[in-house]
Amino acid sequence: MVNYISSYLVMACIYAIMALALNLQWGFTGLMNFGIGTFYMVGAYTSAILTSMPSSEHLGGFELPVVVGIIGAAGMAGVIAYLLSFPALKLRGGPFAIALLAIQETLFLVVKNESWLTNGVWGIRSIPRPFFGLVNPQHFVYFYLLIAAAVLILTYFAIEKAINSPWGRVLRGIREDEPLTSISGKDCFNYRVQSFVFSSMVMGIAGALYVHYTGFVSPQVFSPLMSTFIVWLMVMVGGTGNNKGVILGAFLVWAVWIGSDFLTDFVPASVATQIGFIRMFFVGAILGVMILMKPQGILMQKLLTIGLFREEETP
Amino acid sequence: MVDLLISGIIYGSIITLGAIGLTLMSDILNFFNFAYGDFFTLGAFCTLAFIGFLPDLGTFSHLSFGWSMVIAIILSIGVTVLIMLFFDYLFFKRLRDLGVTSLFMSLASLGVSFVIRAIINIIWGPKVRYYSTTIQISKTLPFGIRMKPDEMVILLCAFILVFSIFYYLRQTKMGKAMRAVSDNKILAQASGIDNKHVIMWTWIISGVLAAVAGTFYGIQVQLSPTMGWNFLIPLFVAVIMGGVGSFWGALLGGMTIGIAEELITGLIQNTFTLMEIQANISVYKPAVAFVFVIIILLLKPYGILGKKKG
Repeated sequence: MVNYISSYLVMACIYAIMALALNLQWGFTGLMNFGIGTFYMVGAYTSAILTSMPSSEHLGGFELPVVVGIIGAAGMAGVIAYLLSFPALKLRGGPFAIALLAIQETLFLVVKNESWLTNGVWGIRSIPRPFFGLVNPQHFVYFYLLIAAAVLILTYFAIEKAINSPWGRVLRGIREDEPLTSISGKDCFNYRVQSFVFSSMVMGIAGALYVHYTGFVSPQVFSPLMSTFIVWLMVMVGGTGNNKGVILGAFLVWAVWIGSDFLTDFVPASVATQIGFIRMFFVGAILGVMILMKPQGILMQKLLTIGLFREEETP
Repeated sequence: MVDLLISGIIYGSIITLGAIGLTLMSDILNFFNFAYGDFFTLGAFCTLAFIGFLPDLGTFSHLSFGWSMVIAIILSIGVTVLIMLFFDYLFFKRLRDLGVTSLFMSLASLGVSFVIRAIINIIWGPKVRYYSTTIQISKTLPFGIRMKPDEMVILLCAFILVFSIFYYLRQTKMGKAMRAVSDNKILAQASGIDNKHVIMWTWIISGVLAAVAGTFYGIQVQLSPTMGWNFLIPLFVAVIMGGVGSFWGALLGGMTIGIAEELITGLIQNTFTLMEIQANISVYKPAVAFVFVIIILLLKPYGILGKKKG
């Protein structure tokens, strides 16, 4: 049981890192990114290829240390985000979301079909888990929880620090009123690129943390629902623009998601096979209801993002 | 080459039907509806359900469907429109009354999309389905064109539907009101146009188009609960490419995307086969639309026929 809770906490920490990164993009810069799974996936595969055993089934297996893998994951996600930012960040609002969604679908196809690179649907095995040999395999999850929690806390303070700096104020300015911010002499496009690349690097780190926890990676994990939209739900539950809130949102949503596994024992078998779709139903319904009833999130702080949420009355 | 072009035109005509509905909705309701693809799936599956209920009335000669399909499409249009109006009443109307921005509206529509897809999955299961399993033989027409009879009917119906929508927007009172609202909402309201009515008719027209396009896609390809979600990217690309709110833009964008996806992947595949390179290009079909939209938006940020607003 303790083991079970610890493994829940590890995944919740990883999702909370993703939610913090999304919150920087959406809550503080106003970028509606429907393709955050891209950077999670890129990070996961980069770290997997850099650190796994040499293999003839996919690229590399470079047997590098895990730390190099994580840094590489952040770097690769950052490079890809930087390259994508020039066409994609020219767009705003809906079209930006569509473009990122399309990027995610495209990269998902690449990962699934280019087996020389990623071993396709069979996935990459033999990814090292940090210090796995030093501890009792049964206690590995506690050990990993410490690492994941440490990264989460670091990310939280880094993002808090960033958004309370002059840099973060410019981002919030862009979110509320971009023309006004550019009149004040700020290069808005550049700031949006910086926010996009920085948070994508954080997502890459989250992906790397995931593969070093499971020791295995395959494309199925990166379906849009599991890699992108569940994180969106976490941010909406926690409250747009509220860093403590989105961490709480991540832990809550993931608890409900994992908790629904227990329900399968109590319902008839015919319902149990449908559990995936019932979860999908609730993801959608909760997302809709949250926006309708509590757009400020469950912590009920005042909505920090007025310009994002409510349109001004046109005279 | 001609075969690829023909299948591109048919695929493009189905995209066009959806894209016209989506462009009207994006423009008049002023948000990107991510649930539109799932209304498209819903239309297709409602047709399937009604065909199951109706007695078998035989098939038309040469075609894979008969009167029961015609009746089923009409009933399915009705049901799809009613469900769309219900979701509008449940979610979108309330959000409009709150004065929520289009970004939050899009997020809410994403939630609706998951709800609908989950319901379709629970009722019909995730399996791939077909309206009819009979195999059709292509007919040879002049100029070396080969088409199945079903495809000819789809093309003809799409053509008629596009022009009746065009006529509706051009000539009827409600159509004119819709164009007025799309042009300038405040001016339209000041001129005494009832916004609520216009919004209702926008849902109805895009619902009709979604149900018909979904059913055609089901006849042409197959039915699966994720088909609408996968169709969403080409649909949005067609809308964005043509310019949000532009009728002819949706037509142009839809046909371009349809033809380009078939032609480009087909031609690259043929070249690779000639050069004896082992590669499966057809899996990358959805990527073509994405590359297209990026290029178009870099050249013309408001789409080919779009105009900058406000």
